[in-house]
Amino acid sequence: MTSSPDPFADASDAAVLVAFANGDGQAARVLTTRLLPQVLAQATRLLANPSEAEDVAQDAMMRLWKFAPEWRQDEAQISTWLYRVVANLCTDRLRKRRSVALDQVAEPLDDSPSAATRMQVQARMRALSDAMAALPDRQAQAVSLRHLEGLSNPEIAQIMDISVRSVESLTARGKRALAEVMEGRKAELGYDDDEPE
Amino acid sequence: MTMTNPNDDMLDDLFAQARAQPPGSPSDDLIARVLADAAGVQPAPSAHVISQPGLWSRIMDTIGGWPALGGLAAATVAGIWVGVAPPTPVSDLTAHLMGDVVTVDLFSATLLLDTEALGDG
Repeated sequence: MTSSPDPFADASDAAVLVAFANGDGQAARVLTTRLLPQVLAQATRLLANPSEAEDVAQDAMMRLWKFAPEWRQDEAQISTWLYRVVANLCTDRLRKRRSVALDQVAEPLDDSPSAATRMQVQARMRALSDAMAALPDRQAQAVSLRHLEGLSNPEIAQIMDISVRSVESLTARGKRALAEVMEGRKAELGYDDDEPE
Repeated sequence: MTMTNPNDDMLDDLFAQARAQPPGSPSDDLIARVLADAAGVQPAPSAHVISQPGLWSRIMDTIGGWPALGGLAAATVAGIWVGVAPPTPVSDLTAHLMGDVVTVDLFSATLLLDTEALGDG
């Protein structure tokens, strides 16, 4: 039998968080390695802005550190809790965007096809994020968790602490509103009338 | 009857593109900021102050604390009491084990007044 160099190799996130609250010197790095990539990815998908996403990720992790002493192991999973925190922080950011001009994507720096394609994808992601900003917070959270994170309705219900039926309603209304917001930008984003690229 | 929104295809494509974006790894700078935040708010390890116990504490620890001390005191008092005023069963048992009780009167009035015996000596 070999001994693992990672003292938390078999420990749950919650157990490592308890160790952090007890002053363990390695717990913060272990939790950061485990949780930060997912936190950053969620924020990036919803905000489509690396700098803002990093700020949200840092803020979400800070809330985890501060909440650690009060964490009870029988509470929701840490990943579920973080989905909720990141969704809330992102919708706070989106709300502030509503008064800002929608199209602020930088122009491509070169004319190569790959660069143009990359910039078009970035423009689309930013447009989608800005359109999400036009939705009510709860709709934006439900739509992002369903369609950007790919979570199931029961998972979203647990994260948002609402019923599955409410999730279905929020996502349906949110997606409908999103389609209306995006309608005027189809040509600009490179979508023909009938076939998406 | 359901109505199909003509923008659904575009939305579904946008969602798919968003999900397909490679999740960027956290930068070293972000990791450093997160760890610095953690260090700033992490509770200190609970300190266990080890103090040398005093003599009385060590005695108490040795004998087992206050309950044991109470038992010891009761046994001591009972022993003294039995020695001073032994109950009849104890006296009988002693006589049985060690022979009859012999009472020696060191200051016998008879002996002191028997001056003849002294003079004869």
